[in-house]
Amino acid sequence: MSRKLFALLIFASLMLGACGGAATPTIRIGINAPLTGDIPKVGEGTKFSAEMWLEENGGTITVGGTEYPVELVIEDNESKGESAAAVNTKLITQDEVHVIVGPQSSKQAVPAGGVANDQKTPMISPWSTNPNTTLDRPWVFRTPFLDPFQGPVVANFVTDEFGFTKAGVLYDVASDYPKGLAEFFKSGWEDIHGPDSVVAFESFTTGDADFSAQLTNIMNAGAEFIFTPQYYNEVALIVQQAHELGFEGPIVGSDSWGSAETVELCGEDCYGLFFSTHYAAEGATGATKAFIDKYNENYGYVPDDVGALTWDALNIVKQAIQDCGEITGDLEADRLCIRDAMANIEEFPGITGNMTFTEEGDPIKCAVIVRISEEGLFTFYKQVCP
Amino acid sequence: MTTNSASTPTIRQRIRALFSRIWEPYRSVPLLGWLIAALVAVGLEQLVGLPLARGLGLTKIPALFGAVVILSKPALTPSALLFTTLIYILPIGIVARFTAPLTNRIAAKLAEYPLVVTALVHLVLLYAVLHIWCDITDYRLLVARLAMISIILTLSLNVVNGYMGEFSCSHPGFMSIGAYVASAFTIVLFVSENRFGEALLPPALGPYMFPLALMLGGLISAFGALLVAIPSFRTRGDYLAIISLAFMFIVKSFFENMEVVGGARGISNQPDYATLPIVFLWTILSIWIINNFVRSTMGKALNAVRDGELAANAMTVDTRKTKMTAFLFAAFWAGVAGGLFAHVLRYINPDSFGIRKLAEVLAMVYFGGLNSVTGSVVGAVGLSLISEALRPLDIFKWIIIPIMLILIMIYRPTGLIAFTEFNVEKIFLPKGRAPEGAEHASA
Amino acid sequence: MEFFFQQLINALQLGSFYALIAIGYSMVYGVLLLFNFAHGDVFMVGAYIGFFVSSALLGLNIFGALALPLSVTLSLVLVLTLIISMALNSIVGMLVERIGYRPLRDAPRASAAITGLMIGIILETGNLAILGPQRRSFPELIQSATINIAGVSFTNKKILIVFISILLTLALHQFVRHTKWGMAMRAMAYDYVVVPLMGISTNKIALMTFALGSALAAAAGILYGVAYPVLDPNMGILFGWKAFVAAILGGRGSILGAGLAGFLLGFIEIFVATIFPSTMRNLIAFGIILIILTFRPHGFFGEPFSAQLRL
Repeated sequence: MSRKLFALLIFASLMLGACGGAATPTIRIGINAPLTGDIPKVGEGTKFSAEMWLEENGGTITVGGTEYPVELVIEDNESKGESAAAVNTKLITQDEVHVIVGPQSSKQAVPAGGVANDQKTPMISPWSTNPNTTLDRPWVFRTPFLDPFQGPVVANFVTDEFGFTKAGVLYDVASDYPKGLAEFFKSGWEDIHGPDSVVAFESFTTGDADFSAQLTNIMNAGAEFIFTPQYYNEVALIVQQAHELGFEGPIVGSDSWGSAETVELCGEDCYGLFFSTHYAAEGATGATKAFIDKYNENYGYVPDDVGALTWDALNIVKQAIQDCGEITGDLEADRLCIRDAMANIEEFPGITGNMTFTEEGDPIKCAVIVRISEEGLFTFYKQVCP
Repeated sequence: MTTNSASTPTIRQRIRALFSRIWEPYRSVPLLGWLIAALVAVGLEQLVGLPLARGLGLTKIPALFGAVVILSKPALTPSALLFTTLIYILPIGIVARFTAPLTNRIAAKLAEYPLVVTALVHLVLLYAVLHIWCDITDYRLLVARLAMISIILTLSLNVVNGYMGEFSCSHPGFMSIGAYVASAFTIVLFVSENRFGEALLPPALGPYMFPLALMLGGLISAFGALLVAIPSFRTRGDYLAIISLAFMFIVKSFFENMEVVGGARGISNQPDYATLPIVFLWTILSIWIINNFVRSTMGKALNAVRDGELAANAMTVDTRKTKMTAFLFAAFWAGVAGGLFAHVLRYINPDSFGIRKLAEVLAMVYFGGLNSVTGSVVGAVGLSLISEALRPLDIFKWIIIPIMLILIMIYRPTGLIAFTEFNVEKIFLPKGRAPEGAEHASA
Repeated sequence: MEFFFQQLINALQLGSFYALIAIGYSMVYGVLLLFNFAHGDVFMVGAYIGFFVSSALLGLNIFGALALPLSVTLSLVLVLTLIISMALNSIVGMLVERIGYRPLRDAPRASAAITGLMIGIILETGNLAILGPQRRSFPELIQSATINIAGVSFTNKKILIVFISILLTLALHQFVRHTKWGMAMRAMAYDYVVVPLMGISTNKIALMTFALGSALAAAAGILYGVAYPVLDPNMGILFGWKAFVAAILGGRGSILGAGLAGFLLGFIEIFVATIFPSTMRNLIAFGIILIILTFRPHGFFGEPFSAQLRL
C-alpha cells in the first residue's frame, strides 16, 4: 500500500515541479552582515544600506531590456568567523544567490571568501582590508582601499600638514584592522623620518575602556601627535582621556572614524581632528549627497562609511549584472558571467570614489582627508590618490 | 499527579498512553534497524527529494528538516512539515517497523562475531547515512563537520566538568593551541607560497600526515594543560576555574603577539584535509577512547575524586595523579578538535577562541548532560543544529537559545541525559524478542 | 617619579571598577558558593539604568527652579542617579536570583553558573534588541577639571571615582561586620546547612546578597559612565570576567579582600602596560596572577577551605 502511495506522491510532485519553471529568474543577492556580536552597528549600516538600495531600484534590475526581480537574502554572521563561513555556504547552496555582498570585517571575510571562491560564487566585501580576503581568490572582490595604501597616506599628510617628526601610535592588538593599519602607518612614517621616529607604539585589547597607561607612555615618550586607527566608540574614549591627561597635540585617525557616532560620543573633544577616509559627508555633491540625504531621511542619521561602501558594492554588483547582458537562470553560468563582468569594471563611479579592480580584486581608488569641523561635521580637506 | 488521576485519565495521561501505543512496536527495533531505515530515508531524499520539494512549492530540499523554511517563510510551513514527514518520518517509521524481525535476526547474527565486526558494520551504515545526507548540499556538509567537532570538544570538557566535577574554563585555549600547531604543521610542510616559504614535503603526502599534525596539536595543548594543572590541583576548590580562565586569556594574548602565525590577522590557507570521512573517523575515535577512559579504573577513580576526595584518597586513589591525567587527556582532545576546526574553516585567528567560544562549549556540556557520553553527543549535535536552524530569527536567536537552556537547567539541572553509561556492546544487541519490552511498557 | 604617580592614579581609577564589580561576585560566591556569571551584565544594565535616570533628571530639569550653579546641580543629579539606579539595579539583581538561581538551589553549582551565563547573554541581546546597536553617550555629570600637581595631571573625576568606590567598599564591609543582616550573611557563608535551623531564611539572605551586589554594580556602572562615557551592550563581558578573577584572587567571601584584589588587578594591568610592551599586557598580567595563585592558592584574605561540591 505504502509503495503505491509513494509512487503517486512522487508522480504528483514531478508534475507540479514541471509546471513551476519558465518565469523570469529572480536575481538573488546574499548579504552576510554582523547583526549581533561585537559590532552590531556595522551590521545595521549594512542592512539599512542594502534595504535602501533595493527600494531605490524598485526591487528590480533591468538587463538588456528584461526586468528581473531582485531578492535580498540578509543573514546574520554573529560577528564570528565560522558563522560567516556557514552563512556563505548557506547563501550559496541553499538560497542560491548569484552574488554575495559582505562580510564586513576581515575576521569573517577571510574564511567566508574562501567558501565563496571554492564554490565559484562572486563575493564583494565592502569593508574588509586584510590582503588575505582577496589574495589568490579570483571570485572575491572588495570596495575599500587597502591598509598598505592608507597607512602612508596618513603619514604623508601629517608630515606635510604639521611638520612633525615624532609619532605615537595607539591601537588594538587583538583586532585585525587596527593592528594592520598601525603597522603600515609605522613603516610609512619611518620611511619618511627614519627609524625610531615612531617614539611610542602602544596597544590595548578589544573591550578595554581605560587607555590611561598607554597614553601616559605616549606622552612620556614625547610624541607630537597620536595616530589611532580605532573604531568610533574607542576613539571617543581615547581622545577624551588624552585630553584629560593633558595631551595637547593633534590626534589623527583612519577610515574607521567615519561614523556619525564618532562625534556624537566624542563631542567637542574631537572637533578640529583629522582622519583619512573614503568620502566626506559634509559638502558632498551629486550621487554621494543624494545617498547621504536619503539615508538620513530614512534612518535619522548620516550613514557610516560602511553604509556608503555597501551601497557602492551593491551598485558594482548591479553594474556587473547589467554588463553581463542576460541572466539565464543557469546559476553557474550567471555567476561566472557576473564575476567576469565585475573583474572588467573600469572607472566605476562610486560614491566613495572611482574604482577599477586590480587582478587581485582590490580597487584602485583615492583617499580623502576629512577634518571634523567646529560644528562636528565631516568636512572635505584634501584628496590623496595613488 | 493527584489521586483522581487513577479513575479518569487526564489529557496528559491520555496523550502519554497514545504515544506509548504508537511507540510500542518500535521497542523491538535494534540500532541496526534504525540505521537501515535512516539510510532508506536519505536515499529517498537523494532520489526524489528535489522534485518532491519543488512539487510542494519549496525551491530546494529543506536543509535542516524544514526548520529554516518554517521560520523564514511561515506560509510554507505545511509544505516543509509535509516534506519532512514524507521523506523522513514516514519512511523511517515504516522501514524500521517492518524490517524489525529481519534486522533483529541480523543483529543477533552479528552479535556472535567479535565486537569489532559488529561495530564496523554499524559505523559503515552510520557513515553512509551521513554521507548521503550531506551530499544534498554543502551547507549540510559544513554544519555536520562543525557539529562533529563540537562533539569532540564537548566530550573532552565533560571529562573535566562532569566526570571530575571541577569547573574548567580553558577549553578555548587548548583548542587554539591545537588549531595553531596543526595549521603550522600542515602549512609549513605541504603548502607552497605561504608565509613560511615553499612546501617542505610533496603535498600528496599531506593527507597521510594529517593525523600526525592533529596529534601533535593535541600533545602540545596537553603540555599547555600542565601549566594549569600544576597550580590548580594542589588543593581542592574552585581555583581551577580562575586559573584556567587566566590561562585562556594568556593563550589568546600569546597568539595575538605571535607574528609568525599572523598575530591578530590570523592564519589562513590550511589545506583541505578535514573532509567528512576524516572528521567522522576522528569523532568516532574520540567517542570510543573517551568512553573507554571514563569506564576504566581511571574513570571510576575520577568519579570517586569528584564525590569525595578524602574518601577516594583513603581508598588508595592517587587523587592528584588521577586529576592530572584526566585534565591532560581532556586537553589533548580539545587540541585535536582545534586542529580539525582549523582545517574545516581553513582560517583561524585568536579571536575565534575567546569567551564566546567558552560560553558555547559550556552550554553544550550542560545542555547535553554531565557525566554522560551520550549526553555530550546529544548536547553538541543538538545545540549546533538548533543554532543553525534558528538563524532566520536574527537577533532573537540569542534570546531563545539562552531561555531554552535556562529552562533545561531548571527542570533537569544536570542536563538532558546525565549520569548514564554508554555501553557499546549493549547498543548493538537485538531487541525485544522476549516480552521484557511489553512488561516494561505496562509498568 | 611624576610618571610613576601619573600611572598610580590611572591604576587607582581602573582598580575602582574592578573592585566594585568584584565585590558583587565575591559576596555571591562567599555566601552561596555560586559563580554569578551574569554579574558583568548586571553591571552593564546598571550603567544603562544610570544613563536613563540621569538623562531623565537632566531633561526634567527638576533643580532648574532653584537656580543653583551648574556644578551643584550636576552633583545633585549624580547623587540622585546613584541612589535611584542602585535601588533599581538591586531589583534586577533580585530578579536574576529569583529566575536563575533559586530554582537551582539544590542543583549542582555549575548548573547555576550556566543559568547565570545564559541570563547574561539574554541581558546583552535583549539590550541590543530593545535599544538598537548604537552606543550611548553618558551625560557629563561632573564638570571635568584637570588638576596639575608637580607635573602629575589628573581630573577631579578620577579622585571622586576612587573616593566613592573606597567609601562604598568600606560601607559594605561595615554592614557585613556589624549588622544583624550582615551576621546572617556571614553565618550562611560559614555553614549553609545549619543557618536555616537558626531561623534565618536562606531565600531572603540570597536575595539580599544579590541586591547588594547589584547595587554596587550599578554604582560601578555609573562611575564607569562618568569616566568612560561610551556605553554598549557588551561592555560588561570583559570587565565581568576580569572582576571574577579579582573576586577569587581576594579570597572567598572577603569583601575587603575582593576590593583590594580589584585594585591590585588595576595596578597589575596598568604597570605591566607601563613597563613591558603593551602588546604583551594580557599575557604578562594574567601570568602574574597565575603565579600568585600558585603560591597563595586561597587568595589573599580567604580562609583555606574545601568547597564541598554539591554534585
